[in-house]
Amino acid sequence: MQKKKQGGKLWLAAAPLYLFTLLFVAGPLVYMVILSFQTRAEGYGVLNVFTLDNYKKILDPVYLETFGQSFRLAVTSTLIIAGIGYPFGYFMAKCSPKWKKRLMMLIMIPFWTSSLIRLYGWMIILQAKGALYQTLHFLGMDIAPLKILYSYPAVVIGMVYALLPFMMLAVYSSAEKMDWSLVEAARDLGASPVKAFLTVTLKLTMPGLLSGVILTFVPSMGLFFIADLLGGNKIVLVGNLIQDQLTRGADWPFAAALAVVLMVMTSLIIFLYRKVTHSTELEGIL
Amino acid sequence: MRKRMYGGLLATAMAMALALTGCGNTSGAGTENGTQPAQGEDAQTAQEQGDGQELVLYTWDLMFPDEILEGFEEETGIEVVYSKFDTDEAMLQKLSTADGGDYDLIFADDYIIETAIEQGLVQELDPSKLENYENIDSRYQGQFYDPEDAYTVPYGAGIPLIVYDPELVDFEITGYADLWNESLTDSVALVANGRVITGITLLSMGESMNTEDTAVIEEAGQKLLQLAPNVRLIQDDNTQNALLNGEASVAFLYTSQVYAALQENPDLRVVVPEEGLGFGVIAGFIPSKAPNSEAAYQFLDYILDAENSAACTQYVGYYSTNTAGEELIPEEVSQLLVAPEGKTMEMVENVSQEANDVYNKVWTEFKAACD
Amino acid sequence: MKNKTKLPGIFLGIVLVVMYLPILMVVLYSFNEGKLIASWKGFSLDWYVQLFQDEEIWEAVKNSLILGLLSCFSAAIMGTLGAVGMARVKWRTKGAVEYISTIPIMIPEIILGMVFLTFFHLLNLPNGMVTLVIAHTAFCIPYIYMMVKARLVGMDKALEEAAQDLGATPVRTFFDITLPLILPAVASGCLLAFAMSWDDVIISIFVTGPRVTTLPIKIYTQMKTGVTPEINALCTVMLGVTVLVLTLSGFIQKRFQKKQL
Repeated sequence: MQKKKQGGKLWLAAAPLYLFTLLFVAGPLVYMVILSFQTRAEGYGVLNVFTLDNYKKILDPVYLETFGQSFRLAVTSTLIIAGIGYPFGYFMAKCSPKWKKRLMMLIMIPFWTSSLIRLYGWMIILQAKGALYQTLHFLGMDIAPLKILYSYPAVVIGMVYALLPFMMLAVYSSAEKMDWSLVEAARDLGASPVKAFLTVTLKLTMPGLLSGVILTFVPSMGLFFIADLLGGNKIVLVGNLIQDQLTRGADWPFAAALAVVLMVMTSLIIFLYRKVTHSTELEGIL
Repeated sequence: MRKRMYGGLLATAMAMALALTGCGNTSGAGTENGTQPAQGEDAQTAQEQGDGQELVLYTWDLMFPDEILEGFEEETGIEVVYSKFDTDEAMLQKLSTADGGDYDLIFADDYIIETAIEQGLVQELDPSKLENYENIDSRYQGQFYDPEDAYTVPYGAGIPLIVYDPELVDFEITGYADLWNESLTDSVALVANGRVITGITLLSMGESMNTEDTAVIEEAGQKLLQLAPNVRLIQDDNTQNALLNGEASVAFLYTSQVYAALQENPDLRVVVPEEGLGFGVIAGFIPSKAPNSEAAYQFLDYILDAENSAACTQYVGYYSTNTAGEELIPEEVSQLLVAPEGKTMEMVENVSQEANDVYNKVWTEFKAACD
Repeated sequence: MKNKTKLPGIFLGIVLVVMYLPILMVVLYSFNEGKLIASWKGFSLDWYVQLFQDEEIWEAVKNSLILGLLSCFSAAIMGTLGAVGMARVKWRTKGAVEYISTIPIMIPEIILGMVFLTFFHLLNLPNGMVTLVIAHTAFCIPYIYMMVKARLVGMDKALEEAAQDLGATPVRTFFDITLPLILPAVASGCLLAFAMSWDDVIISIFVTGPRVTTLPIKIYTQMKTGVTPEINALCTVMLGVTVLVLTLSGFIQKRFQKKQL
């Protein structure tokens, strides 16, 4: 009796979230799916005529290649990020509490500046006659102006740089919770340091690593401004394509279809993550 | 005490959340009203309309020098309300929401004007009301967006050109075809307008920039792919910087960028490509339900005056579309502000949707091939 | 054993140095007299003078602050109440709604930007501060919701039950017992959400109107239309403020902890 009454009041507490989610998250997403089956009107606007053409268009090699390019870039960046971020988070968890705090602060400070300006810092470094060139020159190397900016490696640098902190934090948070005595036990039982790491540590920090992978892989498919600024517009990612279609191309249904495919791809990845880790939350930032 | 504070916070927050979710539709409408000035800078403008003493001008930022706006106000007693837009598309959306009203005079790009005319948002122009009408350079009249010159008055023209650093390029560039030269690997900067770049490729093949023949567009796409290894970057804004800071040795630039590049480095060489030129026009038109079209005529006439036109041209850095004004432009900059004679010139026009799709595809393919 | 502990330290150090290198460049070049970044033309504070005179930048800063605060605030209300309510109701749609509400931070931002752009257009909602707040609220909610939810899981239910047994109404219980306990989670969720809102370009660029420019959008357009070192100066100022706030909050936290003990 009493329980029921409480439920009634609590219904009110959850109501705003329910309403907002349905109206402003589910609503737009549903509309995106509808839009992706509609026809583009001549000039501006959208016609309410069902079509599959938008999806057929994605099968064109040009656009498939865009997905391929985005995927390759995401994989490359994620691998490099894991290569740097995993040991970072791992070593950080082994630091003294005082250093943990300091390191945490050092990771967080850049978050409060602008990610764009940090990318701009890379542009200063990588420019033809930028900081790196001048340093090399100063060191007595007589080289031609650099051609690093506006290339694929520059975009990878930007991606890695922008997303690395997420991996660091995710790995750190799971390594920090880890029971180190298990590693010691394995060592006591005669396992080599490498074996102890592979069989115990890696397994226990896997949730952090995987969530770090999600946190870097998923956003990297959509960060169009990195390809824009560091890639000199030469690297076309799905994000750039969608942005192009929305603005200059004025083809909203096609943009919607691209977004639906991208969303299905990322949802699959997250679904796999949940299957593997049996967790609904992402380690690290949450 | 503390508890009450929380309660108060909560109540206001709930009210706000409700306002956001429920009544959001109406709350933004007021500020988006077309006739309101963009920001504090033109606060002078927010007067009531109807006394016939106001001209609502709608265009990009920095399109008219202050002396012209003030001069007009002094001469006519009409107050100018300078309202700004960022993109042509945003302008069209506003204008169609206002159903051709709210604004008295708009300056925008050619292709969007064609759409506005098609949608019935533009009123016919009566040249007899413009004393200086004959000053208009006839080269810029009768173009696709207004073939009968029934609606618009050109204000300026843009012609993208090739600019290069002779110290870094060891041969003389004379036309678009030279961009494909093997010695320019990873050295060319391009503006990011797909239609323009595909257009010059078509010109270099002896085709029209506006061909709707999809086979020809695809062929141009193939040719563009061969240009890919030479491309250093593709960028729409301040592309000239790539040339100035040594990132690229050759650049294909918009008119205002050519102007800016040469002001920084006069040693750069400008090429008027032998294959012909593509150009665009910025023109003024009066919306169909302009509240004060008489004032719009007065303003158009004012800027068509030779002296005023020359002042405007030197301010915006586009080519003059005014023959009388051209003569008053000082020698040292005239080369940059008066369009070259004797070249075939073609405008980038709106094409059919089918052709447009192929143009889009070819452009995406090209960009992806550049890395 | 001693040798071993040095290597990790070196690794951490190198990574951090590389992380801060671009920031250092930006700070350095904010004092450069020249406009182009290719060359160093001498020390100057001109860009700071210009920065403080540039009304558009401060307008953008103001907009970003307003946007961040409004979105965090509404997200905090909905996220917190939602987490508290959802923890106790047993509706069939609960799981689905919970999942949907976290979608905004699970998908690439570009998708969110595009769905809001098209949806607001469908609703005929003019782009501006209102649309910005709605969009930002949508991606702020998950941060707060998940934080609070995690906190609720670890909370001692007995406290609430005791209060109710003593005759407190659910509302009273919420304010007297639950809220104080989850407040730290709400606060850290808000902080995270605000940081995300403060730095968001992708979503904002799609839902903003011609009259509202947020700071990241301003920076983005400045960067595209030729960077002026003014932006470098702004970044330096932001960095300074961050360090100051962090130091202050660390200081306050220390004092607060001592008092509690």
